[in-house]
Amino acid sequence: MFDVHEMEVNFGPQHPSTHGVLRVLLKLDGERIIDAKPIIGYLHRGTEKLFENMPYPQCIPHTDRMDYVAAATNNLGFVETVEKLMGITGQIPKRAQIMRVMLSELQRISSHLLWLATHAIDIGAMTPFFYCFREREQVLDLFETYCGARLTLNCMRIGGMPDDLPPGWLDDLEAFTGKFEAAVDEYESLLTNNRIWKRRTVGVGVISPEEAIEWGITGPPLRGTGLEWDLRRAQPYECYSDLKFEIPVGKNGDTYDRYLVRMAEMRQSNRILRQCIPMVKATPAGDIKAKISRVIRPPEGEVYHSIESPKGELGYYIVSDGKTQNAYRLRVRPPSFVNLQALPVMAKGHLVSDLVALIGTIDIVLGEVDR
Amino acid sequence: MPIERVKPGVVKVVPRKLSVAERLYIPKVVAGMLVTLRHLIHNLLHYKKLPIISYPEVKRVYSERFRGRHILTTREDGTTRCVACYMCSTACPAECITIEAGEDERTREKFPVRYDIDLLRCVFCGYCVDACPEDAIYMTRDYEMAIDTRARAVVGLRDLVVPPNFPVALEKKGTAGGTGLGQPIRQAPYPDEAPPNPDLYRGA
Ligand code: SF4
Ligand code: SF4
Repeated sequence: MFDVHEMEVNFGPQHPSTHGVLRVLLKLDGERIIDAKPIIGYLHRGTEKLFENMPYPQCIPHTDRMDYVAAATNNLGFVETVEKLMGITGQIPKRAQIMRVMLSELQRISSHLLWLATHAIDIGAMTPFFYCFREREQVLDLFETYCGARLTLNCMRIGGMPDDLPPGWLDDLEAFTGKFEAAVDEYESLLTNNRIWKRRTVGVGVISPEEAIEWGITGPPLRGTGLEWDLRRAQPYECYSDLKFEIPVGKNGDTYDRYLVRMAEMRQSNRILRQCIPMVKATPAGDIKAKISRVIRPPEGEVYHSIESPKGELGYYIVSDGKTQNAYRLRVRPPSFVNLQALPVMAKGHLVSDLVALIGTIDIVLGEVDR
Repeated sequence: MPIERVKPGVVKVVPRKLSVAERLYIPKVVAGMLVTLRHLIHNLLHYKKLPIISYPEVKRVYSERFRGRHILTTREDGTTRCVACYMCSTACPAECITIEAGEDERTREKFPVRYDIDLLRCVFCGYCVDACPEDAIYMTRDYEMAIDTRARAVVGLRDLVVPPNFPVALEKKGTAGGTGLGQPIRQAPYPDEAPPNPDLYRGA
């Protein structure tokens, strides 16, 4: 008597809460999602092919444009991979390492702030948006005084850093870290124990640890399921092994746990930044570059290296033929792309309005999904 | 947020059960309003300190390292510092610099007869500033580059070259593509007519 009336609906690519140009083909039974199929490629720019056609240093500005809200970690992943290929990872001066860590933790904060702002506004909480952008602006200012750009930073070089810290930068950073904890408290006071927020997020998009591993999910969505996998701890790069920080994990693997994990991660990033300030002051100023030749021509070989970007495991795979200054093949393993694949699993059985929360909670950037 | 220590280096975030007061909507709604109200009152009392810039009446001043529009500097005698060595166009990842070299009959020195930067292709990475051996090219704090036709995005020598003694620090401060200390914001002297570069400009 009640026959299921299926309907196919396009969600996106111009829908404002798909965070860019994601299109999801929904199969609906009324409001309930039977199947959700992400269709991607609207922002494909052929970045990997571009990389094969230009010398390694010139690739760095192009990595900015993959995950454009977390350019510093994209830069970091790329330069570290090339350094590993050249075998100069051990030669990076301490000061450069700490600066890299500082920039990528700042980037984690700014990326998570953007995520929180948009995620909250998607679900209907308007207020956190303004407070998040208030702090994010300060982070972007710090970037701008360091490297001269706010989003497309281009702030790392193969073998070190482009420039020393400008005078007064550390004081600004210290002032920011001092205030930031209170700011996170403020966001949490608006959301964490808010009944409406919990109703929209608890139990939505549950993913089990086994499923998360099967789908290759990394980053906060993985840690939300209770697995403590963080590449900063599992495969320490730069000077992360000298720093004290904790990996926040969740339990239920739902949207609410992923929210809690990211909030706790912001606090941990702040803690790392506070530790970095005295560390960087103890290193000699100006010692920011390894002594390598200007022409970067890595030996023949292949290498895979990954780092913990704000969204998960960001890996680069480079094949070098040893003859040219270009990569023979370069492949990027973007966290957003892999995490997005779990959307159909998460969305099944939920309402259309939950899909908005789910796209937000995976924290995708389409520039990185499509490359 | 309640946090439970699982083992060294790992913490578990534990969702808390809502209290009765939190489950009744009203107290939480009031608490949320109080946050907003506190900010409202604070901002009213300290309205001078609001992080707001009344653009375009007030312009934002970026740091000295800002990577904005390019300039080509000039020597004391009025000749351009650039020696048309093509280092910048080689380093440019966006391939947006086009140079044609000419030769000074007397001094046998090279100089650019044409130096075009397509600002729509430029990614503002600062590599050209890093690459230049003559400290000829700099980036300014000028960020207002709005144009109304694509052809006008291609800026040539006429737009780029600045007079001698234009205040840039000629000693490069690092390599981040900085402008040097004391660099004023340069007003863009965009000519009214489009720069005549139809051959460089591709597309519709
Ligand atoms: S800033 Fe970068 S993209 Fe722009 S002209 Fe210079 S090298 Fe080319
Ligand atoms: S690198 Fe400097 S000197 Fe050489 S062509 Fe470019 S601007 Fe001129």
